[in-house]
Amino acid sequence: MSATVKTLVNQPYKYGFVTDIETDSIPRGLSEDVVRLISAKKNEPEFMLEFRLKAYRHWLKMTEPEWAHVNYPAIDYQNIVYYSAPTKETKKVESLDDIDPALLETFEKLGIPLSEQKRLSNVAVDAIFDSVSIATTFKKDLAKHGVIFCSISEALQDHPELIQKYLGTVVPTADNFFAALNAAVFSDGSFVFIPKGVKCPMELSTYFRINNGDTGQFERTLIVAEEGASVSYLEGCTAPMFDTNQLHAAVVELVALDNADIKYSTVQNWFAGDENGKGGIYNFVTKRGLCKGVNSKISWTQVETGSAITWKYPSCVLLGDNSVGEFYSIALTNNMQQADTGTKMIHIGKNTRSTIISKGISAGKSKNSYRGLVKMNPKADGARNYSQCDSMLLGDTAEANTFPYIQVDNQNAKVEHEASTAKIGEEQLFYFAQRGISEEDAISMLVSGFCKDVLSELPMEFAAEADKLLSLKLEGAVG
Amino acid sequence: MSITASEQAIAAMDNITMLDLSLAPLLRLAEEGNPVFNAGSAGWLREVRIQGAYRVSHRAFPTRKDEDWRVTDVSVLRKTHFRQAAQTSIQSHELDVFALEETAASRIVFVNGIYAPEFSDTSALPKGLYVGNLAGLSAECAADLVNYLSQQSRNLDVFASLNDAGVRDVAVIWADKNVVVDQPIHILFIGKPEDQPVAMQSRCVAIAESGSSLNLVEYYGAATQGCSDHDQQLYFNNTVTEVWVKANAQINHVRIQREGGSGIQIGNTAIAQAQDSRYHLTEVNMGAQLSRHTLTLNQNGAQTETILKGLTMVGGEQTSDTHTAVNLQHPHGTVDQLHKCIVDGSARSIFNGKVDVPQNAQMTNAAQLNRNLLLSPKARVDTKPELQITADNVKCTHGATVSQLEDDEIFYLRSRGLNEYDARHLLIDAFAAEILNTIAIPSLNTGLVNCVACRTID
Repeated sequence: MSATVKTLVNQPYKYGFVTDIETDSIPRGLSEDVVRLISAKKNEPEFMLEFRLKAYRHWLKMTEPEWAHVNYPAIDYQNIVYYSAPTKETKKVESLDDIDPALLETFEKLGIPLSEQKRLSNVAVDAIFDSVSIATTFKKDLAKHGVIFCSISEALQDHPELIQKYLGTVVPTADNFFAALNAAVFSDGSFVFIPKGVKCPMELSTYFRINNGDTGQFERTLIVAEEGASVSYLEGCTAPMFDTNQLHAAVVELVALDNADIKYSTVQNWFAGDENGKGGIYNFVTKRGLCKGVNSKISWTQVETGSAITWKYPSCVLLGDNSVGEFYSIALTNNMQQADTGTKMIHIGKNTRSTIISKGISAGKSKNSYRGLVKMNPKADGARNYSQCDSMLLGDTAEANTFPYIQVDNQNAKVEHEASTAKIGEEQLFYFAQRGISEEDAISMLVSGFCKDVLSELPMEFAAEADKLLSLKLEGAVG
Repeated sequence: MSITASEQAIAAMDNITMLDLSLAPLLRLAEEGNPVFNAGSAGWLREVRIQGAYRVSHRAFPTRKDEDWRVTDVSVLRKTHFRQAAQTSIQSHELDVFALEETAASRIVFVNGIYAPEFSDTSALPKGLYVGNLAGLSAECAADLVNYLSQQSRNLDVFASLNDAGVRDVAVIWADKNVVVDQPIHILFIGKPEDQPVAMQSRCVAIAESGSSLNLVEYYGAATQGCSDHDQQLYFNNTVTEVWVKANAQINHVRIQREGGSGIQIGNTAIAQAQDSRYHLTEVNMGAQLSRHTLTLNQNGAQTETILKGLTMVGGEQTSDTHTAVNLQHPHGTVDQLHKCIVDGSARSIFNGKVDVPQNAQMTNAAQLNRNLLLSPKARVDTKPELQITADNVKCTHGATVSQLEDDEIFYLRSRGLNEYDARHLLIDAFAAEILNTIAIPSLNTGLVNCVACRTID
């Protein structure tokens, strides 16, 4: 490996700083009292406490799943702080002027300016710091269109009936071990409601930031698009560098009614640990969308570059006739990272269609697995699926695996799955070198070409960002 | 070591009801005056059994909570009280369905897992090749077999260990160095159901020493009137076949599973391939109400070539499961796998194909394809082609498709004057032919093609 390549590989994680801020944290550990305490701190309605306690009691009976192709030491669930909030933000803030300047500065450093003058003109942002939502921009403009975009705690105060109607309908409290844990202790998250017939006028975005070293982050996102509504939503995430592993167990639920359209994009860049695999986030996330109405559509796009371990399967339940599910994914692992990610497409309604495009890139000593399920139920007449998962190996110590599960219970359904594995060829690099393009540039061009099908699905501003992120993470991985 | 030692091992198996019921008598019968024991094998064979019983007692019976058995429910084996199948004989006409004219003088027959010399004839086979059962092997060779028997099966699932524990007789095919045998060798395992559920164990070892070449037809059927699809009493055939292909050797292996309509077969095939060897398998699964075939292949040397072709054809209430695992360990290996399933009625077909390419298996060329044809609204397919790759300089692809007969294709044939019935069958036959045509034995090929046609009549 040449010297320039080495400096590129060892690019520091630039979001790894810690904000020194006074926090209101509860003691470590989890018990029924902790669940009650979190609920009380957030002044939640009675049904929410019931919801949490039900989930907690289920969780106690469940065991941690072991089937994923990842290894990690046992997690001590009693050694995690389940709630941490900046002290000054415990009261509801009316305007940005009330927010601790240190927090605004943090988000500015992360490239997410919240103040009126600097923020992006066409993107509304909900900023979440450890366990609470700090600020949501453009709320008033959105309200004019009837769009509700706020933190889930606020929604629980202002629109409890909507939360009660939809929360837990897509991912039930007892769905899986981490979803149950999340349901019991989730602290905050975003809530989006697009009423009938409204096309959301701007991109919505949530930015998650873990700051406290001992905190687990458990956020919950709920997006509801009523008949004929449409929305594009993006989440981003970063965390400081710590030597210890932190748990991030989020739940995202999407509900699309008749003719609605939800596009959900993720650029995940949690701290991945150092090159020896020390530290980093355990990203154990349950994301599921329900195409409840006819002709509805849910599209997941994800760029997974961070986290020590990723365990994530954004899924679509295609219940309404003619509904469409899409999954576009780039998963990049380097050093000691482990990713077991993919999707589930459950076809229930007639003429439902789904597309899966997954691109996995593994470098260093990482493990990168695609695990997907395509299920055609007996009533899904005329259902179609096309899956393609391509892997690119950089170096001979990285691992690329595919585990596609296909279950077909319907004669009229049609399923196609394809997978391939490749590497960046010597000839390709030589061709670029001939044209005076350095090895690093050549690799980043080849990688971004490999990922083009997925990058083109991202909203414009973020596609460029994600492309840059990929080349930054990868350059020099071949040497 | 004595019977009591094996029985002690069994006593620890409280959690495995099926084994409680069947293993003790199985072991006892196997040791009482059985022809298997001769001077060369007596000592080590007992050891194989005891170790098998020990492994069985230390492993849980598979349930749907195990990843490998997630979609195949074998709980019927736990619930049923099986008796050990008796040593018995059959009428010669019961054999006619499975006999092949090409192998009239190169055939060995096992009934309920025990050698039946009256039906076996190996006169057409050349010198330098042993085809028969364990008892007929010379003392020297029998002693040498300790290096083969159970050496692969001990690493397989609990059913393979059960076979180790209860082995009563072994079909042995052993070719010396540089012996090339073009004549196909027919190894026929016939099960004879009784009026209550019985369990039997079939065991086969095939060894091709370096530079040799073999054509094997491993055939499982049931003794009944006419076609083996007819219903009889439930029976359970637990089979294990271990194959060694030494350096530069070649084996063409055909495995036909046509168990009776109420039979259950759990089969394990394990193959060890040495450097520069070639192994071609064509497997056909048609019979049994519930069948599972687990194939484990290890490429233990460089430049090995593996071709796996499979056809599963099920209808009615049948369930057929094929799990294959190919482990490449050395550079320049090639794997070409095509598995096809035709599923009719309320049947269910399961395919799980795993290809593992570790770091030192550079320059591997592996292709795997699973294609499924659904013929009825209630038919069901589960497929999972798995790839695990660490080596970077490799070419690996896999794919899976599930579909029904294309309307366009039927329309095309109808526009050429074929009626709907003929058009459908032409397409189904062609789908199956891609696999069946790799079988180079004309009478077997014809028989199977007829079988496919017979099974798809509406």
